[in-house]
Amino acid sequence: MIDLNKKTYTFHVHGMHCNACVLLIESELSNYPGVISVKAKLNSRSVEITGNFGHKTEGEIAKLLSVPIEDNGYTLSLEKQIDSKNWSDFKIAIPIALALAALFVLLQKLGIVNLVSGENVGFGTAFLIGIVASLSTCMAVVGGLLLSMSATFVKVGDKIKPQLLFHLGRLISFFVLGGVIGTLGAVFTLNISATFVLNLIIGMVMLILGINLLDTFHLAKKFQLGVPKFISKHTLDISKWNHSITPLLVGVVTFFMPCGFTQSMQIYTLSTGSFLAGGLTMFSFALGTLPVLALISFSSFSIKNSSKSGIFFKSAGLIVIMFALFNLINALVVIGIIPPIFNF
Amino acid sequence: MFAGENSGDNAGNNVSIVDGKQIIEIDAKGGYNPRKTAAKADIPTVLKIKTSGTFDCSSALVIPSLGYRKNLPPSGEILVDIPLQKAGSAIQGMCAMGMYNFTLDFN
Repeated sequence: MIDLNKKTYTFHVHGMHCNACVLLIESELSNYPGVISVKAKLNSRSVEITGNFGHKTEGEIAKLLSVPIEDNGYTLSLEKQIDSKNWSDFKIAIPIALALAALFVLLQKLGIVNLVSGENVGFGTAFLIGIVASLSTCMAVVGGLLLSMSATFVKVGDKIKPQLLFHLGRLISFFVLGGVIGTLGAVFTLNISATFVLNLIIGMVMLILGINLLDTFHLAKKFQLGVPKFISKHTLDISKWNHSITPLLVGVVTFFMPCGFTQSMQIYTLSTGSFLAGGLTMFSFALGTLPVLALISFSSFSIKNSSKSGIFFKSAGLIVIMFALFNLINALVVIGIIPPIFNF
Repeated sequence: MFAGENSGDNAGNNVSIVDGKQIIEIDAKGGYNPRKTAAKADIPTVLKIKTSGTFDCSSALVIPSLGYRKNLPPSGEILVDIPLQKAGSAIQGMCAMGMYNFTLDFN
């Protein structure tokens, strides 16, 4: 008698974007009373649930089962989310992205880099150089990577922690590594080929994240960053791991990223000759870049729940893609494969 | 006195020949200046890059065809030896991120 009510339902899942989401949804729902088995599918963004829910209608079940996963940003529904592509968002997102790109080029043309002068670099000067750097072409690398990363995390429902960890990782590593440079008097310079590889990786990562942010081409999901499901299934807390270690490490890695300002500050730090002076110089520099970088990461989470979020993610995606292409082209230019295209 | 009426940007103001050596001077700050230099081919050449309070990308100099990569001091000058160039060849220098560049045309 009991099994008469056992049925299999298929629901569409809104907000399912990654392999970790699949696991999370499966584990949350399988604990729900009445549920016998759960199978979530990323490519169709659906979940197949077999269970005994009495005489409830499909709609009621969808509502009921949405409750345990709501906090993570997912909802179940009967219909496919046809409008998720929302092409109309592009009408606003494209002009926004182009305007910001134009602003970026204008800032470079104005010669803000020439605002910095003088040969003695105090902590105040290092801070100012940081501010200028955060408005310069370094933005294409560090800012672009940060934007792609924070928007991606916000999209899967993780708002504040990854952003804070990124900035924490950046500030701490700049202090510690700056101190090391000051003490050792040696600077970590990547040679041409290492710089090329790093540029290429950053460019590709940004390109994939940018395309994912557009939420239009599902193809890119196949290449999505993250751990394959068969591995993540065996390490239970993979979603946590992803969301804290990754941004922290990305923050640390920014120390080595190809940004002329960062590198010349490192060269200067060489001459300080002490851990404290070196560390504080690089820390002041990182602090100077913080306001603009913080603005970038926190712009993503303030927007998540508003009705404009589609426009935001699409604008962010377009900007990230433009920066990614900019970085990839420059990587090829520097290694001598193609002639220079940009000259600011 | 100098070969180089062919290109626009400068007519060799930054090029001098001392003791049979051609010296090309380039300022690096917020980009490279001049961006285009007409130089003489077939004579020993030294590139002199000057920085003054340079903290931007132009301090991270790359010359791909020479396999050259150096972080310039914030203020000062460095010398780069350039092997003999045939007429019609060009050497391009740029910053490590690729957004600033300069060209030396040899004729």
